[in-house]
Amino acid sequence: MSEDGKDLPKRVAIRDDLLTKPLDDLDKVRLVGSRCRQCGETSLGERGRCPNCGSGDMETRELGTEGTLWTYTVVRNRPPGKYRGPDPFQPFCMGLVELPDGLRVNALVEGDVEEMEIGVPLRLRVFVHHENEAGQEVVGFAFARTDKP
Amino acid sequence: MSDVVILGIGIHPFGRFDKTFEEIGAEAAAQAIDDAGVTWQDIQTAYLSRMYLPATSGARILRRLGSTDIPICDIEAACASGGVALRQAILAIRSGEIDLALVLGTEKMPRGFMDPSMIYAPWQVAMGLSLNPSYWSMRAKRHMYEHGTSELQIAKVAHKNHRNSVHNPNAMYRKEFSMEKIMESPLVCDPIHLLEICAPNDGAAAVVVASKERAAKLGGRPIQVDACVHTLATYSSDFRCPADSMSATMAPPGPTSATARKAYEIAGIGPQDIDCFEVQDTDAFCEIEIYEDIGLCGLGEGGALIDSGRTEINGDTPVNMSGGLICKGEPVGASHLGQIHEIVSQLRGDSGPRQVSGARTGMAHVLGAGGNCAVTIMSR
Repeated sequence: MSEDGKDLPKRVAIRDDLLTKPLDDLDKVRLVGSRCRQCGETSLGERGRCPNCGSGDMETRELGTEGTLWTYTVVRNRPPGKYRGPDPFQPFCMGLVELPDGLRVNALVEGDVEEMEIGVPLRLRVFVHHENEAGQEVVGFAFARTDKP
Repeated sequence: MSDVVILGIGIHPFGRFDKTFEEIGAEAAAQAIDDAGVTWQDIQTAYLSRMYLPATSGARILRRLGSTDIPICDIEAACASGGVALRQAILAIRSGEIDLALVLGTEKMPRGFMDPSMIYAPWQVAMGLSLNPSYWSMRAKRHMYEHGTSELQIAKVAHKNHRNSVHNPNAMYRKEFSMEKIMESPLVCDPIHLLEICAPNDGAAAVVVASKERAAKLGGRPIQVDACVHTLATYSSDFRCPADSMSATMAPPGPTSATARKAYEIAGIGPQDIDCFEVQDTDAFCEIEIYEDIGLCGLGEGGALIDSGRTEINGDTPVNMSGGLICKGEPVGASHLGQIHEIVSQLRGDSGPRQVSGARTGMAHVLGAGGNCAVTIMSR
């Protein structure tokens, strides 16, 4: 229940336009992209205008779930500000994941941080990232290696 | 664009000080005004470059020099703020409305990682996709993968810059470190180590700029501004904070290449004509990438260039004689004007043990959040 007594949804996306709905079965949730009918570029999330050419002639589509790691780093220190990841902090990989839709998405990359490599195959994993102040489950995403457990 | 000159320079050392931003800024401004041989009351317009200071900071700082009706405004374009402020002063002079301006950069920043909410969206902060060094490190990893650049080559850049900083009284860190010490320092974001990265801090730098005609009447030691260019990265030309994705189908020239190209065109010279460079080594890898982007070497050859020693103070294309951002720190708003202070000192022959022998031309380069890039070319 929220302060004004209305029911809040149990789950919300970490960024509303980034994930398909509903959020009940997380295995069925996909990343959302926008394809520009003018220049052909696909960008992340639902966009009214193309971030490349500025055209408003856009179509929303589900992005592929399989990709490869284009580059990455290991974050060795707790990120500053309102970071809501695991506490106590665990070093983690973040990278750019190249999807067949023609874009690279910045994402958490799951796998052994000491054995990560450019080019490894990855699959989208949608999960409850944290709980917000209102007690709602906030749904985030990551890409996990498919060649190693 | 040889119609505008830098007539005076001033700097407050970069570091951490128990002083207000007003004090730091006013010191640099007063020094630049003195160096130009003019008075504060002679200045016709002033710009403050800053990112992390509150509203009306320019007015608060410059009131310390005495109350006037001189118009002052604050300018922000992330790491390129100083270039944008300088460019505004140049445009004002070229418009014919004024012929003498002050450009001041001042910053006072907390220790450690910068506040991510200034740059990133809340969801990026919540997931931890909000560290500036992680973006630089991902670029480094890809460069290593594509071109075989090594961690040793990255460390060599830091080694050079730390060595140069020993001679710079305005740098925050003035200590030489061995290669082993650099490579054994803790990893911040792989492959970048603590001694290969710059820290946010406090500092100020200022320049007085004048039209050539006005400068001729005033005398002094003017340095010509041959180009001062600001651009933003075009779509997917760069992956830099706070971007959340990029194209995999196109790879246009990055912001440094695009800005440098424009600056060379305006100045009518190329990289081979420039005697010394101050560039945005927010981390040691960035400097390698910038070597390629400003045309000191070809794509993928940045690692070989640091190996060759040519970017040392006594090399044929010296880079970051001041010790760079790695040693000076990055008081964001003051950073580019601090680089210009270094280049002007070099072109005047005032740089003491870090002097580039016979330097006649120099370039200052900054690049930061949002793909903001500025390049200034100067000559005597």
